[in-house]
Amino acid sequence: MIEVEGLEKTYFAGSVATPVLKGVSFRIDEGEYVAIMGTSGTGKSTLMNILGCLDKPTAGRYLLDGTDVVSLDDDALSGLRNEKIGFVFQQFHLLERATAMRSVMLPLIYADDYPENAEERAEKALAAVGLADRRQYRPNELSGGQQQRVAIARALITDPEIILADEPTGALDRKSGLEIMAIFKKLHRQGRTIILVTHDRALAENAQRIIVLEDGKIATDGAVEKQRDPDLELDTLGAGEDKK
Amino acid sequence: MRMQRIVGQGIQALGANKMRTFFMMAGTIVGIAALTIIMALGKGTEKKVMKRVETFGPRAMMLIAGGGKNAGPDMTVTTLTMDDARAVREQVKDLEIVTPIAWRFRINVKYDANRYQAVFWGVEPSWHEAWNWYAAEGDGITDGDVATMARVCVIGQTIRRKLFGDSDPVGENIYVNKVRLTVKGVLEKKGTSPMGTDFDNRIIVPITTAMRRVLNVDHVGAIRIITRDAALMPRQIKEIRALIHARHHITPPQEDDFRIASPVSIAKMARGTSRTLSILLIALAGLSLIVGGVVLMNILLISVGERQKEIGLRRAVGATRRDILFQFLAESLTVTCIGMLAGSGLGALVTLILRQSTKIPIVLSWEPFALSLAFALLVGTFFGIQPARKAALLNPVETLR
Ligand SMILES: Nc1ncnc2c1ncn2[C@@H]1O[C@H](COP(=O)(O)OP(=O)(O)OP(=O)(O)O)[C@@H](O)[C@H]1O
Ligand SMILES: [Mg+2]
Repeated sequence: MIEVEGLEKTYFAGSVATPVLKGVSFRIDEGEYVAIMGTSGTGKSTLMNILGCLDKPTAGRYLLDGTDVVSLDDDALSGLRNEKIGFVFQQFHLLERATAMRSVMLPLIYADDYPENAEERAEKALAAVGLADRRQYRPNELSGGQQQRVAIARALITDPEIILADEPTGALDRKSGLEIMAIFKKLHRQGRTIILVTHDRALAENAQRIIVLEDGKIATDGAVEKQRDPDLELDTLGAGEDKK
Repeated sequence: MRMQRIVGQGIQALGANKMRTFFMMAGTIVGIAALTIIMALGKGTEKKVMKRVETFGPRAMMLIAGGGKNAGPDMTVTTLTMDDARAVREQVKDLEIVTPIAWRFRINVKYDANRYQAVFWGVEPSWHEAWNWYAAEGDGITDGDVATMARVCVIGQTIRRKLFGDSDPVGENIYVNKVRLTVKGVLEKKGTSPMGTDFDNRIIVPITTAMRRVLNVDHVGAIRIITRDAALMPRQIKEIRALIHARHHITPPQEDDFRIASPVSIAKMARGTSRTLSILLIALAGLSLIVGGVVLMNILLISVGERQKEIGLRRAVGATRRDILFQFLAESLTVTCIGMLAGSGLGALVTLILRQSTKIPIVLSWEPFALSLAFALLVGTFFGIQPARKAALLNPVETLR
């Protein structure tokens, strides 16, 4: 469970202060699928980094499963990221020249206890994103969508509570993007908490709830009336292509 | 173990970019190879030096006619005499033996139709003791021989073989420089010097016979002196030098007409040639290790810059700053340690080839390996720490943007 209260973040460049988050409060329960929206530069990524324990707020409170994240030191934050959080970035960030298997197993390197069945888990994670037959492929041998799926498998391998995805489809075409969204949908159905950052309303409507940031504050926060179904959209997309 | 996994990540990163890894390694390879060669060379030289000193005699000094730097006496210098030997014997304390030697490098010896060229030494009986070299067959030189200017000689094993073959030489007459001498004994076999001189190609006669009958001179070539105690030698050398200066009327800026060889000077001479080569190699080794280290550091710094996203990603999935620090240190140390192995191998190979193809004395041993390992760890840590710190201190948020 995530609970933030009065979250503020101000960047300082020399004597120039840039306030980005100006008092953000919300609560995300376990198993929720939340989209965070807002125009470019409103602080979505900034918020994401704080939620992912990569960065600390300038002020405010952040409780992750009851732990006061703000008071933790750097090493403890690293441990928390490893254990509870799976990141999916817009730019995939796979290990250069490493096979999909090795990229996926990376978080286990930094786990307190390296599981004996690491390879098996990596295989399972890759199978879960539909890449069982691409284990030994390197990034330059994979399409963008496939690379992002490897990145999702990597986020899944430590079995984290929360998946944080910052514009995960930003670098992909529509079909690959829908495939990614279908995977998130499936993960959500399996009970995982998913926080998705996007500026695209259509994508945001895959989530149950949309938080809209505006000028560093929450403008709206509400449930989605009718969730989109990426599988259905993929079907119609396929049908549309068939007609041509 | 976490540490093992992190080192593994470093090694994988090195393997993923072999070209870069090779450039990081080159300096260490050259430096360690040079180091291995120097050490082998140094050890070989020391072995040679010790053998030379042993052959010369650890308690021995040689007062040699002529001030030059030649190994033997200068035959044109006529100022060193039997009286000098007597003066040294009487005036310098704690000497065990003082024995003069008349000397000719090459002299014709003849028996029947067999001719040969030998090294010719005129000696006193104490010569046997001074060189610890006695007659194996027949007798050595005696006081009586010296007193009577006896027409006798003792021959080395090589001459015996050349002139007499298998027959018994004792009692036979040979001609030395057209002077007839009776062979009274055969010297023990001594073998060859480290420089390759045949010690057994030698003929010794009573010193009086040598000076009066064969060479017709009034001077001697050298005086061999054995001290009672090697520790006294530096003082005794000074005393002998002062004594001969006085006897020959030499005042220092004036050039000496003699020189004194001792185990110290012999060792210095033996080391002489390999010294320049060693200094050159030490410079090369030091320079390669330092330049190699700087290159390693710079490539690592560039690498940290290029791999910012990778570092950020590792941090995002749970790496601590220390994990990142250790990974980059592991990369640096792996490079220098593998470089060390390659360098040691290369050095050993060059050493073996040198030993095969030249006369340079060379000894391979484990010490250079241990020293190389120490250098590899030192260079790897010293030049790796800065890039590793830089990597560890990167802000993951900024690298991932
Ligand atoms: N390190 C920094 N120093 C100063 N200002 C920063 C820093 N990082 C981000 N900012 C500023 O903070 C604001 C919010 O940035 P952020 O990346 O969170 O926006 P975003 O909502 O993710 O935008 P986008 O949709 O383009 O990704 C921007 O105006 C940006 O310039
Ligand atoms: Mg952003």
